[in-house]
Amino acid sequence: MKKTTTTHIPRRTVLGAAVVAAGLALSACGGGGTTPSGSSGSVELNFVFWGDANRAKMTEAALRIFEKKNPGITVKTEYQDSGPYADKLATRFAGGNPPDVLAMANRSLLEYAQRGTLADLKSFSELNLDKVPESTLSRGEVDGKLYGLATGVTTIGMVVNKTITDQAGVTIPDDKTWSWDDYAKFATEVTQKTGGKVYGAGYDVATETGPILLARQRGEDFYTKDNKLGVSEKTIEDWFQYSVDLRKSGGYPPAGFFEQIGGSPAQSYLAKGTVASQIIPINNFRGYNEAVEGEVVLLRIPGETTGERRGYSADPTMLWSIAAKSKHPKEAAKLVDFLTNDADGAAEVLTQRGVPINPEVAAAITPKLSADDKTFVDMMAAIQEDDLPPAYVYPKGASVVADTLKQLTTEVEFGRVSPADAAKTFMEKSNAAINK
Amino acid sequence: MSVLTKQPPGAAPAAAAAGGKPRIRPSRRKKQRSGYLFLLPWFLGMLFTVIPFFASLYLAFTDYNLFTEPNFVGLANFQAMFEDPRLLQSLKVTFIYTFVSVPISLAVALLVALVLNRGLQGLSIYRSVYYLPSLLGGSVAIVMLWRYIFGNDGIVNGFLGLFGIQGPAWVTDPQFSLSTLIVLNVWTFGSPMVIFLAGLRQVPGMYYEAASIDGASRWRQFRSITLPLISPIIFFNLIMQLIGSFQTFTQGYVMSGGTGGPADSTLFYNLYLYQKGFTEFEMGYASAMAWLLLMIIAIFTAINFIASKFWVFYDN
Repeated sequence: MKKTTTTHIPRRTVLGAAVVAAGLALSACGGGGTTPSGSSGSVELNFVFWGDANRAKMTEAALRIFEKKNPGITVKTEYQDSGPYADKLATRFAGGNPPDVLAMANRSLLEYAQRGTLADLKSFSELNLDKVPESTLSRGEVDGKLYGLATGVTTIGMVVNKTITDQAGVTIPDDKTWSWDDYAKFATEVTQKTGGKVYGAGYDVATETGPILLARQRGEDFYTKDNKLGVSEKTIEDWFQYSVDLRKSGGYPPAGFFEQIGGSPAQSYLAKGTVASQIIPINNFRGYNEAVEGEVVLLRIPGETTGERRGYSADPTMLWSIAAKSKHPKEAAKLVDFLTNDADGAAEVLTQRGVPINPEVAAAITPKLSADDKTFVDMMAAIQEDDLPPAYVYPKGASVVADTLKQLTTEVEFGRVSPADAAKTFMEKSNAAINK
Repeated sequence: MSVLTKQPPGAAPAAAAAGGKPRIRPSRRKKQRSGYLFLLPWFLGMLFTVIPFFASLYLAFTDYNLFTEPNFVGLANFQAMFEDPRLLQSLKVTFIYTFVSVPISLAVALLVALVLNRGLQGLSIYRSVYYLPSLLGGSVAIVMLWRYIFGNDGIVNGFLGLFGIQGPAWVTDPQFSLSTLIVLNVWTFGSPMVIFLAGLRQVPGMYYEAASIDGASRWRQFRSITLPLISPIIFFNLIMQLIGSFQTFTQGYVMSGGTGGPADSTLFYNLYLYQKGFTEFEMGYASAMAWLLLMIIAIFTAINFIASKFWVFYDN
């Protein structure tokens, strides 16, 4: 190493600079924590959710109304895509700095709740639950305590690009009575008649909502009332086998075709025009119809009348929770009450997070809905006219189940594992995760 | 890990000053004080390393789940590792990645360094161009870019298509996904290359002159002069690359969207550790995994140090 010549910066200056720098570094560390409430007794709530910019914009508009109605409370929001959101949420809880109010995924609720990190929503007098149906409450409840309140209800549906099927000369079967076989035939025909340019089916095999519905149609509860895995190995095997057969017949794209599933409607393969149908959470119908060139129709999932019973249920799109460690639990409860029961706020958010769970609020916003959102709400209502079997909260370990399904779907897709073996592994891993 | 690899800047001069004469003149004492002051940032930084370091050692023996108080469970976490198939898979992925990509990237780095060392015009430009990928390689943006280059409709398959070859699904097929990442890692040969280049410039030209007078071929010169003289540099690069690639995280995380997929084919050890800690909330287990990785790296580094006695030549 070369010897450096003496520089003529006065030592005092250097020392001073060093001290200032250290001070800056320390104060920077102090930032980002909880903001001390101001002198006027005002409270700042931290409210986090996942979603896109559009959802954020609508949410912000509602929150400004909340702030106007509740002087002294301001709400600061943060949002991300669902993946990074889940990661960040875990880190914040672990760091002892959780948000006050947060959006929770069905599959993560009990992971958090059974570790004592969420407040019992029933314990707040600020939160009025009188109008919420019992069947909706039960989806966020465990041991009589309410840890998550549905942001709205939704379910899954089949969206079909009718412009493509019309051009190909394929008739869409009647979705009130179609079976899974009908869907397979339809999808295969679309691929054939478009000369392989468009695949008839493009639903995601790896998302658990599909097999959950199939299990219900067969009289099984994917997740049971006592928080166990209730789906049979046969049903999982059939779910895999169905996709394998559909791929063989040409109705489903070849292995490796799907590179990014679960993005926004604009990034979907339906919008790209390379598949003609897809399964979506139907509260997103409007987004898909806007993103896709041509006409998109919303259909029921196949097999609803050909199985043992209905597979459908009105499911929480996501859940609102309050952190047990929230420094402002009362104000947080006020916010959840607003999000649930306030029609003015709901008029800004509309059906972004599903049909409002307070029927009066749902009725109040109906006239304000666009045609596509109306289609979603009408279908939700039509489904619930039937006698639907009860559905239960996702157990602890449900996120491992979801990951396992994803992993095995790829194994099956590339023919590395048979559907039967994949189903066997699925049962073992899922049971291990849930019963742990 | 940084404890092992990072040299405290300026630690050596400070130690020398402290171990000097028993009686220190006032001006020297002042110098000493400012020396320590300059070390202060490093000491403060150490706190952020040392505390988590020992905390994770403790947590490795607990069932810590991030939310509730940890309970001591003895060696249960380490025992559970032996029965964890995904842990074995993650080790397999990491080992394949390391043992394939490190030798290739070192070879490429040395080759390019040799070419650049032949006195090209505009050397600094070439050097920067080749160095650039290694600045970017671990970054999220480049991995995203890689996804598109190797995507089904990407440049690579487009190129293969020109020759009528239907390219595979490089990213989504579990058979190819890891090799795609290995190619990415090899592409970032810039930092070992720059170090090789510096090493090559230190080799005295007279050796080559003498050798060519004796009629030695270029290959012979490379084997008998260049290789032995830069063997310490090769050794250094090998160790650094080995440690770095055992700790690979970003590439696997971004390429698979955090899952390690398709079908766990890019489940790097650190990615699995992260999943255990932050998605399954088994921080105790994750801590134990971190210590296993430390041991693995320590063992491989030790093996290399022992082996180095037989092939590394110090010219002094």
